[in-house]
Amino acid sequence: MLSILRWTFWITVWAIIASFFHYTLPQTDIVRVTDTYESRENPTSYTLFWGAPDLAADGTVLPRDVFFIQTRRAKGDVMVYRNEDTGWGWPPYFKFDTANLQAEIGDLVSTAEAPRFVAIKHYGWRNEFFSIYPNAVSVHAVAGPDAPKGIPYLNIFILTLFTALVYGVWTRWRRFRKARIDPRMEAIEDDLADATGAVTGWFRSWRKKP
Amino acid sequence: MAALVRLMIVGFIVLTVIYVCLSFYSRSVRKGKLREQWHDGPQDQPVEAFLEEGLKDYDKSLRRKLILSVYVIPVILVSVIVYLTNFA
Repeated sequence: MLSILRWTFWITVWAIIASFFHYTLPQTDIVRVTDTYESRENPTSYTLFWGAPDLAADGTVLPRDVFFIQTRRAKGDVMVYRNEDTGWGWPPYFKFDTANLQAEIGDLVSTAEAPRFVAIKHYGWRNEFFSIYPNAVSVHAVAGPDAPKGIPYLNIFILTLFTALVYGVWTRWRRFRKARIDPRMEAIEDDLADATGAVTGWFRSWRKKP
Repeated sequence: MAALVRLMIVGFIVLTVIYVCLSFYSRSVRKGKLREQWHDGPQDQPVEAFLEEGLKDYDKSLRRKLILSVYVIPVILVSVIVYLTNFA
């Protein structure tokens, strides 16, 4: 029972960590930009998946215009990206050039008959049920649908650093537990066993008087 | 603008915690090394005086000032990311 709980707990923790990295770290898609649009959005739910909200003086969320990029990916399906500043907030892309990026993308629009392929770097998820969109970070033209996406050095670096950190904390915790907590627990268990023996003995002596 | 202020305040707090921890750790490492040195050395002065003198030298050393890079490196990192994201 306890081991099921323990497994559930750790699987949940690691799933949350993995999805956090999957959402936050940049990924590249090879796409053909089909169109762009701007839409008035008032994200009051799932605000976590949108840029920092515009707030009125009294703190209510104001509706705002968000750029969107409609694309068809090289692998065939469609993908819609939003194009929003991250500003100084999370995730730390420090993106301020939303309007410039929209202009660049507008310049790269192409048709199915005369396709031009571009690499879009983005983070985030597309989810139809929650109406959330990945946020485009940068774009550049590539040779064709099979163009290489490049080695994700940054992701490799960050994940390696994170693994090293977790491993370091884990070894130290294990060492600490072996040195400090395990002996103490054993001592407590021994004491408990002694005490139980003593109490039982006392009860016994109490019951059958010599 | 409010976001920048918030980033700076949160960053300053986090980095200060790291800075203080690192300072104490580095000082204790130096203290341990000095103690070792005293044991190996001629022991011509009491251990307390030797440690005090050594730590006073450490307080003036470059190594201690290098810990200030805890504040400098993130600022450089953010500047580089701002440049790469928006201007490169």
